Amino acid sequence: MTLAIEHLSKQFVKNGEEPVESLVDISIEVNDEEFICILGPSGCGKTTLLRIIAGLDHPTSGSVRIDGLVIDRPNRKLGMIFQDYSLYPWRTVVENIAFGLELQDVPKEQRSATIGKYLEMTGLSEFGNSYPYELSGGMRQRVAVVRALAIDPTVLLMDEPFGALDAQTRNKLQHDLLDIWGKTRKTILFVTHSVDEAVFLADRIVVLTPRPGRICEIIPIDQSRPRDRTGVEFAKVRRYVLDMINQPKWTIQ
Amino acid sequence: MKTIRVMVIALVAVAIVLLTAGCTQPAVKSGNASVNILYSKGVGPLPMLLATNQIDGYIAWQPFVAVAAESRIGKVLTYSGDLPPTGMWKDHPCCALFVRDDFMAKNPDIVNAISALTIASTDYMNAHQSESGELVADWIAGKGNLTYGNVTVSSIAVVHSALPTVKYTTDPSPSWINGTTKFVSTQIDLGYITANIKNATPEQRAAMIFNFGPYQAARKMVDDKKVVTPAKLNKQFAIGYLNGDMHSASLIVAVKKYQYFNDTYGVALVPRDPTQSKPEICDLVVNGQKVAEVKLIGGDAGPQVTQLAATDTVQMGYIGTPPELAAIDKGIPIKILHPLNTEGSGVVVAAGAPVSDWPSFIAWAQQRSAEGKPLTMANPGKGSIQDVMLKFALKESGITIKEPS
Amino acid sequence: MGFMKRGGSHEGLLHPHMFLKVILPLGIIIGWEIIAILLNNEFILPKLESVFAVLLSPTADILGYGNLISNAFTSLERVIFGFLIAAGLAIPLGISMARSAYMHDFFDSTMQLLRPIPPLAWVPLALAWFKIGLASMVFIIALGAFFPILLNTLDGVKSVKRNWIESAEILGANHRQVMLKVVLPGAAPTIWTGLRVGFGIAWMCVVAAEMMPGTNSGLGYLIMSSYNWGQVQVIIAGMIVIGLIGIGFDYLFKVIDRRSFSWRVLER
Repeated sequence: MTLAIEHLSKQFVKNGEEPVESLVDISIEVNDEEFICILGPSGCGKTTLLRIIAGLDHPTSGSVRIDGLVIDRPNRKLGMIFQDYSLYPWRTVVENIAFGLELQDVPKEQRSATIGKYLEMTGLSEFGNSYPYELSGGMRQRVAVVRALAIDPTVLLMDEPFGALDAQTRNKLQHDLLDIWGKTRKTILFVTHSVDEAVFLADRIVVLTPRPGRICEIIPIDQSRPRDRTGVEFAKVRRYVLDMINQPKWTIQ
Repeated sequence: MKTIRVMVIALVAVAIVLLTAGCTQPAVKSGNASVNILYSKGVGPLPMLLATNQIDGYIAWQPFVAVAAESRIGKVLTYSGDLPPTGMWKDHPCCALFVRDDFMAKNPDIVNAISALTIASTDYMNAHQSESGELVADWIAGKGNLTYGNVTVSSIAVVHSALPTVKYTTDPSPSWINGTTKFVSTQIDLGYITANIKNATPEQRAAMIFNFGPYQAARKMVDDKKVVTPAKLNKQFAIGYLNGDMHSASLIVAVKKYQYFNDTYGVALVPRDPTQSKPEICDLVVNGQKVAEVKLIGGDAGPQVTQLAATDTVQMGYIGTPPELAAIDKGIPIKILHPLNTEGSGVVVAAGAPVSDWPSFIAWAQQRSAEGKPLTMANPGKGSIQDVMLKFALKESGITIKEPS
Repeated sequence: MGFMKRGGSHEGLLHPHMFLKVILPLGIIIGWEIIAILLNNEFILPKLESVFAVLLSPTADILGYGNLISNAFTSLERVIFGFLIAAGLAIPLGISMARSAYMHDFFDSTMQLLRPIPPLAWVPLALAWFKIGLASMVFIIALGAFFPILLNTLDGVKSVKRNWIESAEILGANHRQVMLKVVLPGAAPTIWTGLRVGFGIAWMCVVAAEMMPGTNSGLGYLIMSSYNWGQVQVIIAGMIVIGLIGIGFDYLFKVIDRRSFSWRVLER
């Protein structure tokens, strides 16, 4: 599986005003089973980039291709988890997870088996019949991930999924995510503005400049996981990235 | 708690406003004695308005005169035939049968048949008053009892007491035609007739208003007991009448005694559901053949029925002459065929009013006017026969009519 | 969902909340009887006995106008008919207006113009267009129910989160599936409220609709005909029946709301 983002640019045009450049010439080659973090300050267009990759928006120029197929509309191969989880409040946990399977008319027994498997994987087996409002933020996040996984996408797109959580929950969920990633061997594109998070999770970090978002650098991280947040290696990479971000010539527009 | 206190104050304030709402005085007018006119929507509210002292009296068609008397809410001042000027209103026209011009042109035999049925029914009523009273009471009130406070009256008793005051006749005699002409002048006087009839010569008026052809044909058919079978009409047509009105009794008796009229004259309005106290759908059956489906539609007052005639919702109607005249004046394409009854209305005043006849009533009106509390008299609707007659009588007696503002 | 807390569902007749709820109606009934006796005028305020006499014989014919029960059923039939027509028109229109800017712009000004006109004002036109009969009555009733349902549908569909729809699209939903599995369930609680309000208004229009000439059944007809004969106790009995049926249906709507849409209240 290759996910190729080629010379992708995005301009927003509002009626009668100057066009606003959001993304300029983004090119990334994502390899199979890679964990990529897209890192950048607010407003740099990283969410826009993720939405375009998902097929929810169109680029002004350039393209997104998965295994050679151009992505210009939502595609089941690319699952997405939104910042606010977007669980359906009128459906139970099981019914939420079943959503994508229902759409494909998967028969009931098969659905139950798949759902059961994912519930176990994320430790949510006891909460199958609960509604989203009964769950904590961390639990809802897990349901969102599993809902996306249930239809077996090749790529998972995640838009700052842990942004709304406290540090402890976040750390735990980062662990859990790596765990799931290890078990399911998906390719993950993970958007964040937290350097720590990116260094902890990613195989490669794509650093974007403030608006208009350009690729500043793509930083590979060769450390084995789980990474020690307090370790020297970790700190070194973190320092490198932070320095890049804090360059005085970058002004937030 | 503060909220409860606020609520209580609000409730008390509302109560005070409601209780004092009726206590405002109209402005005092010096000079000519005047009487306030109140237009009701039909006769229904009239007894209630009288009993709650919102009016001092009313004029209405039977049986609502008898209702007031029987239940002791009010007393009869005078019947309509005796209204001043003396002798003018004797045998005054009341209700008449009308038909739309286009319906008449296309279905003359049906119109004749209905006319014949009406004539036969009227003859029957005059020969069988008591039975007719029961049938009418069944139609207009389900033979039920009317409860007015502590008094309960049977609708049958009310109708029986009212019947003698209604003169059922279908003959368009010269005196009847004369009476209708008087109505035209009165309505012109009052400003109800302002257009077509007003601007026509007397000869033109007769042609605009009347069509006695059906009567002549129908009278002969009834006398011979032979009715011409009309061609079948595939569309339903409708006949309007007045709710709670005894003047359309000929229609009521015709429907109720359908078997008799079918057997005796070969023409009948056969109700689809004879068990209903006032059937809505009937079949016009002539000489054993179903000729048309007929819908009977009750309206609250004459003008409402003529409005239905204007939109071709009804094609024939049993209503008062003045509304028919006003409709013709405004260009609604109908003609009057023949009378249904004469007289049959009356003036009722409050039970405790210091009056016994018309002169004492006028005296009372003058006295109350002088006190700055003019009488309020109600009628079933602007332009109705009762409205016309009362206003004319009051004007004749030197009273100024005060319209509602 | 046992943990759901709702105020007011207290058990026990002697509980202070129960007392508060009952005291005003009781007060009204007692006050009524006292005033009726003092006034001694059945036209202004019939005594309770007169009204109860009517209510307690719901199958007795009233002055040839039918009995309470059959007239109540007739009115209900008409209202339900008009209500369903209104819902059948308003819900699809609301959904399309909410989802398409073109549809919204196309219909919006007309809807705004028509909305403030009370259904009663349409009676003469209804009679002229639909003639006397069920159609004109249903027209008036449907008019009453239409706008609350339309507005709530618009509102409900607009409130469906874009992310919900996009999640569905990403999971592979086509347009029809998005409509059925996301938009409708998401908008359902608001639409339901619109239906509840719309039904209430439709029920209020019954008397207006049944005042039209040519009507010969229904609670509104019974009330107006009793008015004709000054039988105020029948009028009040009819009003009470109308009120009770209105409450009954409102309660039904609320119960279903609680059971199916409680998730809305507790959404974060």
